[in-house]
Amino acid sequence: MFYPSQIIIPANKKVKLLIENQDSTPEEFDSFDLNREKVLYPNRKSIIYIGPLSKGHYEFFGEFSPNTARGVVIVSDEEAQHANN
Amino acid sequence: MLITSLVMSLNQLLPVAILLVLLQVVKKQSSLRICSAVLIGAVMSFLYMQSASWVSQWFEHQGLEYSQIGLCITIFIAVLVFALKQKSAAFYIAVISTVTLYLSHYIIYLTSFWQNSDAGQSLFIGTLLGSGICLSFSVLLYFLMNTIKYRFGMYPLFTLLAFNSAAKLLVALDLASQIDLITNTSTVWDLRDVLSENSELGRVLRALVGYEATPDLMSVLIYSTSSVLFLLLCYVIPASITKERV
Repeated sequence: MFYPSQIIIPANKKVKLLIENQDSTPEEFDSFDLNREKVLYPNRKSIIYIGPLSKGHYEFFGEFSPNTARGVVIVSDEEAQHANN
Repeated sequence: MLITSLVMSLNQLLPVAILLVLLQVVKKQSSLRICSAVLIGAVMSFLYMQSASWVSQWFEHQGLEYSQIGLCITIFIAVLVFALKQKSAAFYIAVISTVTLYLSHYIIYLTSFWQNSDAGQSLFIGTLLGSGICLSFSVLLYFLMNTIKYRFGMYPLFTLLAFNSAAKLLVALDLASQIDLITNTSTVWDLRDVLSENSELGRVLRALVGYEATPDLMSVLIYSTSSVLFLLLCYVIPASITKERV
Protein backbone atom coordinates (compact mmCIF):
# COMPACT_ATOMS: atom_id res chain seq x y z
CA MET A 1 0.00 0.00 0.00
CA PHE A 2 1.00 3.61 -0.47
CA TYR A 3 1.51 5.75 2.60
CA PRO A 4 0.23 8.38 2.61
CA SER A 5 -2.41 7.26 0.16
CA GLN A 6 -3.80 10.77 -0.12
CA ILE A 7 -1.51 13.58 -1.19
CA ILE A 8 -2.76 17.15 -1.24
CA ILE A 9 -0.85 19.54 -3.47
CA PRO A 10 -1.46 23.12 -4.61
CA ALA A 11 -2.92 23.84 -8.04
CA ASN A 12 -0.69 25.01 -10.90
CA LYS A 13 2.55 24.09 -9.16
CA LYS A 14 5.08 21.43 -10.00
CA VAL A 15 5.65 18.94 -7.17
CA LYS A 16 8.47 16.47 -6.64
CA LEU A 17 7.39 13.16 -5.10
CA LEU A 18 10.10 11.16 -3.36
CA ILE A 19 8.86 7.59 -3.02
CA GLU A 20 10.63 4.92 -1.02
CA ASN A 21 9.68 1.30 -1.54
CA GLN A 22 10.12 -0.31 1.87
CA ASP A 23 8.81 -3.70 0.69
CA SER A 24 10.94 -6.66 -0.31
CA THR A 25 9.25 -6.81 -3.74
CA PRO A 26 9.15 -4.21 -6.50
CA GLU A 27 6.07 -2.19 -7.30
CA GLU A 28 5.14 0.05 -10.19
CA PHE A 29 3.72 3.50 -9.52
CA ASP A 30 1.14 3.94 -12.23
CA SER A 31 -1.36 6.67 -12.98
CA PHE A 32 -3.42 7.12 -16.10
CA ASP A 33 -4.70 10.42 -14.73
CA LEU A 34 -1.21 11.81 -14.21
CA ASN A 35 0.41 10.00 -17.17
CA ARG A 36 3.06 8.57 -14.89
CA GLU A 37 4.60 5.09 -14.72
CA LYS A 38 7.68 4.08 -12.77
CA VAL A 39 9.02 0.86 -11.29
CA LEU A 40 9.84 1.21 -7.59
CA TYR A 41 12.60 -1.20 -6.62
CA PRO A 42 12.71 -2.72 -3.14
CA ASN A 43 14.51 -0.58 -0.59
CA ARG A 44 15.25 2.10 -3.19
CA LYS A 45 14.12 5.68 -3.52
CA SER A 46 12.51 7.05 -6.67
CA ILE A 47 11.60 10.55 -7.76
CA ILE A 48 8.56 11.50 -9.82
CA TYR A 49 7.60 15.03 -10.77
CA ILE A 50 3.93 15.83 -11.21
CA GLY A 51 2.11 18.99 -12.22
CA PRO A 52 1.41 21.80 -12.70
CA LEU A 53 -2.13 20.45 -12.37
CA SER A 54 -5.54 22.03 -12.29
CA LYS A 55 -7.93 21.41 -9.38
CA GLY A 56 -9.27 17.88 -9.08
CA HIS A 57 -8.60 14.30 -8.05
CA TYR A 58 -5.89 12.26 -9.79
CA GLU A 59 -5.77 8.57 -8.92
CA PHE A 60 -2.63 6.44 -8.82
CA PHE A 61 -2.10 2.76 -8.08
CA GLY A 62 0.53 0.05 -7.85
CA GLU A 63 0.34 -1.88 -11.09
CA PHE A 64 1.63 -5.05 -9.41
CA SER A 65 -0.96 -4.83 -6.61
CA PRO A 66 -3.78 -2.70 -8.04
CA ASN A 67 -6.38 -3.84 -5.49
CA THR A 68 -4.44 -2.88 -2.38
CA ALA A 69 -1.96 -0.23 -3.45
CA ARG A 70 -4.11 2.74 -4.39
CA GLY A 71 -3.93 6.45 -3.73
CA VAL A 72 -5.06 9.83 -4.89
CA VAL A 73 -3.45 13.18 -5.50
CA ILE A 74 -5.83 15.95 -4.55
CA VAL A 75 -5.07 19.24 -6.19
CA SER A 76 -6.62 22.16 -4.37
CA ASP A 77 -6.39 25.92 -4.40
CA GLU A 78 -5.27 25.98 -0.81
CA GLU A 79 -1.66 25.45 0.21
CA ALA A 80 -0.65 21.81 0.33
CA GLN A 81 -0.95 20.21 3.71
CA HIS A 82 0.58 16.84 3.00
CA ALA A 83 2.67 17.33 -0.11
CA ASN A 84 5.69 15.10 -0.27
CA ASN A 85 8.35 17.54 -1.30
CA MET B 1 -3.35 -12.01 -8.76
CA LEU B 2 -4.89 -13.80 -11.76
CA ILE B 3 -6.55 -10.63 -13.06
CA THR B 4 -3.44 -8.56 -12.32
CA SER B 5 -1.29 -11.05 -14.25
CA LEU B 6 -3.75 -11.00 -17.13
CA VAL B 7 -3.86 -7.19 -17.25
CA MET B 8 -0.08 -6.93 -16.85
CA SER B 9 0.57 -9.42 -19.65
CA LEU B 10 -1.88 -7.59 -21.92
CA ASN B 11 -0.33 -4.20 -21.15
CA GLN B 12 3.19 -5.37 -21.82
CA LEU B 13 2.70 -7.90 -24.63
CA LEU B 14 0.09 -6.11 -26.72
CA PRO B 15 2.33 -3.20 -27.85
CA VAL B 16 5.00 -5.73 -28.93
CA ALA B 17 2.46 -7.89 -30.77
CA ILE B 18 0.90 -4.88 -32.53
CA LEU B 19 4.24 -3.57 -33.75
CA LEU B 20 5.27 -7.02 -34.98
CA VAL B 21 2.01 -7.35 -36.94
CA LEU B 22 2.30 -3.89 -38.51
CA LEU B 23 5.92 -4.45 -39.56
CA GLN B 24 5.01 -7.89 -40.88
CA VAL B 25 2.23 -6.41 -43.04
CA VAL B 26 4.57 -3.70 -44.37
CA LYS B 27 7.01 -6.39 -45.45
CA LYS B 28 6.73 -10.04 -44.55
CA GLN B 29 9.69 -11.33 -42.57
CA SER B 30 10.81 -14.94 -42.27
CA SER B 31 9.84 -16.88 -39.15
CA LEU B 32 13.53 -17.23 -38.31
CA ARG B 33 14.03 -13.45 -38.40
CA ILE B 34 10.98 -12.81 -36.22
CA CYS B 35 11.94 -15.49 -33.69
CA SER B 36 15.55 -14.35 -33.49
CA ALA B 37 14.53 -10.69 -33.01
CA VAL B 38 12.07 -11.60 -30.25
CA LEU B 39 14.59 -13.94 -28.62
CA ILE B 40 17.36 -11.31 -28.65
CA GLY B 41 14.82 -8.81 -27.29
CA ALA B 42 13.90 -11.22 -24.48
CA VAL B 43 17.58 -11.65 -23.56
CA MET B 44 18.06 -7.86 -23.66
CA SER B 45 14.98 -7.46 -21.44
CA PHE B 46 16.43 -9.88 -18.94
CA LEU B 47 19.79 -8.05 -18.91
CA TYR B 48 18.02 -4.69 -18.67
CA MET B 49 15.90 -6.00 -15.81
CA GLN B 50 18.97 -7.31 -14.01
CA SER B 51 20.68 -3.92 -14.21
CA ALA B 52 17.54 -1.80 -13.76
CA SER B 53 17.75 -1.55 -9.99
CA TRP B 54 21.30 -0.21 -10.37
CA VAL B 55 20.55 2.01 -13.38
CA SER B 56 17.54 3.48 -11.56
CA GLN B 57 19.89 5.20 -9.12
CA TRP B 58 21.86 7.04 -11.84
CA PHE B 59 21.38 10.78 -12.43
CA GLU B 60 19.66 11.32 -9.09
CA HIS B 61 17.28 8.34 -9.38
CA GLN B 62 16.45 9.17 -13.02
CA GLY B 63 18.62 6.65 -14.88
CA LEU B 64 15.76 4.38 -15.92
CA GLU B 65 13.80 7.21 -17.49
CA TYR B 66 16.80 8.30 -19.56
CA SER B 67 17.35 4.76 -20.82
CA GLN B 68 13.64 4.33 -21.62
CA ILE B 69 13.50 7.67 -23.44
CA GLY B 70 16.43 6.43 -25.54
CA LEU B 71 14.57 3.21 -26.35
CA CYS B 72 11.38 5.07 -27.33
CA ILE B 73 13.23 7.39 -29.72
CA THR B 74 15.14 4.41 -31.16
CA ILE B 75 11.85 2.60 -31.85
CA PHE B 76 10.38 5.62 -33.65
CA ILE B 77 13.44 6.04 -35.88
CA ALA B 78 13.81 2.30 -36.58
CA VAL B 79 10.14 1.91 -37.55
CA LEU B 80 10.37 4.97 -39.80
CA VAL B 81 13.48 3.59 -41.53
CA PHE B 82 11.77 0.22 -41.92
CA ALA B 83 8.69 1.84 -43.46
CA LEU B 84 10.90 3.74 -45.90
CA LYS B 85 13.56 1.18 -46.78
CA GLN B 86 12.36 -2.17 -45.44
CA LYS B 87 15.88 -2.94 -44.18
CA SER B 88 16.16 -5.98 -41.95
CA ALA B 89 18.49 -4.10 -39.57
CA ALA B 90 15.71 -1.59 -38.92
CA PHE B 91 13.29 -4.46 -38.26
CA TYR B 92 15.68 -5.99 -35.75
CA ILE B 93 16.33 -2.69 -33.95
CA ALA B 94 12.61 -1.83 -33.77
CA VAL B 95 11.56 -5.23 -32.45
CA ILE B 96 14.47 -5.69 -30.03
CA SER B 97 14.00 -2.18 -28.59
CA THR B 98 10.23 -2.67 -28.21
CA VAL B 99 10.60 -6.07 -26.57
CA THR B 100 13.28 -4.67 -24.23
CA LEU B 101 11.11 -1.69 -23.29
CA TYR B 102 7.92 -3.60 -22.56
CA LEU B 103 8.97 -7.12 -21.62
CA SER B 104 11.43 -5.95 -18.95
CA HIS B 105 8.51 -4.61 -16.89
CA TYR B 106 6.74 -7.93 -17.14
CA ILE B 107 9.89 -9.89 -16.27
CA ILE B 108 10.30 -7.73 -13.15
CA TYR B 109 6.71 -8.55 -12.19
CA LEU B 110 7.04 -12.27 -12.93
CA THR B 111 10.37 -12.79 -11.18
CA SER B 112 9.22 -10.84 -8.12
CA PHE B 113 6.09 -12.84 -7.47
CA TRP B 114 6.96 -16.22 -8.97
CA GLN B 115 8.56 -17.48 -5.75
CA ASN B 116 5.38 -16.78 -3.83
CA SER B 117 3.80 -20.25 -3.78
CA ASP B 118 0.24 -18.86 -3.70
CA ALA B 119 0.84 -16.69 -6.72
CA GLY B 120 2.62 -19.14 -9.04
CA GLN B 121 -0.48 -20.74 -10.50
CA SER B 122 -2.31 -17.43 -10.93
CA LEU B 123 0.74 -15.92 -12.62
CA PHE B 124 0.95 -18.84 -15.02
CA ILE B 125 -2.74 -18.87 -15.91
CA GLY B 126 -2.91 -15.06 -16.17
CA THR B 127 0.11 -15.01 -18.46
CA LEU B 128 -1.30 -17.83 -20.57
CA LEU B 129 -4.66 -16.08 -20.93
CA GLY B 130 -3.01 -12.73 -21.69
CA SER B 131 -0.74 -14.31 -24.30
CA GLY B 132 -3.75 -16.04 -25.87
CA ILE B 133 -5.73 -12.79 -26.09
CA CYS B 134 -2.68 -11.02 -27.59
CA LEU B 135 -2.27 -13.81 -30.14
CA SER B 136 -5.96 -13.73 -31.13
CA PHE B 137 -5.91 -9.94 -31.42
CA SER B 138 -2.71 -10.08 -33.48
CA VAL B 139 -4.13 -12.63 -35.92
CA LEU B 140 -7.29 -10.54 -36.42
CA LEU B 141 -5.25 -7.35 -36.84
CA TYR B 142 -2.91 -9.08 -39.30
CA PHE B 143 -5.72 -10.22 -41.58
CA LEU B 144 -7.55 -6.91 -41.25
CA MET B 145 -4.45 -4.88 -42.15
CA ASN B 146 -3.58 -7.23 -45.01
CA THR B 147 -7.09 -6.83 -46.42
CA ILE B 148 -6.87 -3.06 -46.10
CA LYS B 149 -3.43 -3.12 -47.74
CA TYR B 150 -4.63 -5.08 -50.76
CA ARG B 151 -7.78 -3.00 -51.11
CA PHE B 152 -6.50 0.51 -50.38
CA GLY B 153 -2.73 0.28 -50.73
CA MET B 154 0.00 1.09 -48.23
CA TYR B 155 -1.17 4.49 -46.99
CA PRO B 156 -3.72 3.32 -44.36
CA LEU B 157 -1.07 0.95 -43.05
CA PHE B 158 1.55 3.72 -42.92
CA THR B 159 -0.98 5.95 -41.15
CA LEU B 160 -1.55 3.39 -38.41
CA LEU B 161 2.20 2.76 -38.19
CA ALA B 162 2.81 6.53 -37.92
CA PHE B 163 0.31 6.83 -35.03
CA ASN B 164 1.75 3.75 -33.35
CA SER B 165 5.31 5.09 -33.60
CA ALA B 166 4.32 8.60 -32.54
CA ALA B 167 2.80 6.98 -29.44
CA LYS B 168 6.31 5.90 -28.43
CA LEU B 169 7.36 9.55 -28.50
CA LEU B 170 4.43 10.31 -26.19
CA VAL B 171 5.80 7.73 -23.78
CA ALA B 172 9.21 9.44 -24.03
CA LEU B 173 7.56 12.80 -23.42
CA ASP B 174 5.74 11.54 -20.31
CA LEU B 175 9.02 10.10 -19.02
CA ALA B 176 10.80 13.40 -19.69
CA SER B 177 8.21 15.37 -17.72
CA GLN B 178 8.31 12.70 -14.99
CA ILE B 179 11.96 13.58 -14.35
CA ASP B 180 11.50 17.31 -14.92
CA LEU B 181 13.39 17.43 -18.23
CA ILE B 182 10.43 19.29 -19.68
CA THR B 183 7.54 21.08 -18.00
CA ASN B 184 3.97 19.85 -18.38
CA THR B 185 1.80 22.21 -20.38
CA SER B 186 -1.92 22.73 -19.94
CA THR B 187 -4.28 19.78 -20.52
CA VAL B 188 -5.94 20.09 -23.92
CA TRP B 189 -8.93 17.87 -23.22
CA ASP B 190 -10.17 15.54 -20.49
CA LEU B 191 -11.93 12.45 -21.83
CA ARG B 192 -11.72 10.38 -18.63
CA ASP B 193 -15.51 10.31 -18.33
CA VAL B 194 -15.96 9.34 -21.99
CA LEU B 195 -13.23 6.74 -22.44
CA SER B 196 -10.88 5.96 -19.60
CA GLU B 197 -7.40 4.70 -20.40
CA ASN B 198 -8.04 2.08 -17.74
CA SER B 199 -10.97 0.55 -19.68
CA GLU B 200 -10.52 -2.39 -22.07
CA LEU B 201 -11.03 -0.25 -25.17
CA GLY B 202 -8.84 2.49 -23.70
CA ARG B 203 -6.00 0.03 -23.17
CA VAL B 204 -6.28 -1.37 -26.69
CA LEU B 205 -6.36 2.13 -28.20
CA ARG B 206 -3.42 3.12 -26.03
CA ALA B 207 -1.37 0.18 -27.35
CA LEU B 208 -2.57 0.72 -30.93
CA VAL B 209 -2.37 4.49 -31.40
CA GLY B 210 -1.21 5.89 -28.03
CA TYR B 211 -4.60 7.08 -26.80
CA GLU B 212 -4.39 9.44 -23.82
CA ALA B 213 -7.51 10.69 -22.06
CA THR B 214 -5.77 13.78 -20.64
CA PRO B 215 -2.99 14.84 -23.01
CA ASP B 216 -1.21 18.14 -22.53
CA LEU B 217 -0.52 20.62 -25.31
CA MET B 218 3.06 19.46 -25.83
CA SER B 219 1.91 15.83 -26.24
CA VAL B 220 -0.69 16.79 -28.85
CA LEU B 221 1.86 18.87 -30.78
CA ILE B 222 4.58 16.19 -30.71
CA TYR B 223 2.09 13.45 -31.63
CA SER B 224 0.65 15.36 -34.59
CA THR B 225 4.00 16.67 -35.82
CA SER B 226 5.76 13.31 -35.66
CA SER B 227 2.82 11.51 -37.32
CA VAL B 228 2.70 14.05 -40.14
CA LEU B 229 6.48 13.91 -40.55
CA PHE B 230 6.36 10.10 -40.68
CA LEU B 231 3.63 10.15 -43.35
CA LEU B 232 5.27 12.94 -45.35
CA LEU B 233 8.51 10.99 -45.55
CA CYS B 234 6.57 7.93 -46.70
CA TYR B 235 4.98 10.05 -49.44
CA VAL B 236 8.19 11.87 -50.40
CA ILE B 237 10.37 8.81 -50.67
CA PRO B 238 8.58 6.90 -53.40
CA ALA B 239 10.63 3.72 -53.11
CA SER B 240 8.81 2.81 -49.94
CA ILE B 241 5.46 3.05 -51.69
CA THR B 242 6.18 1.62 -55.12
CA LYS B 243 7.96 -1.43 -53.76
CA GLU B 244 4.88 -2.64 -51.98
CA ARG B 245 2.19 -1.14 -54.19
CA VAL B 246 -0.36 -3.73 -55.18
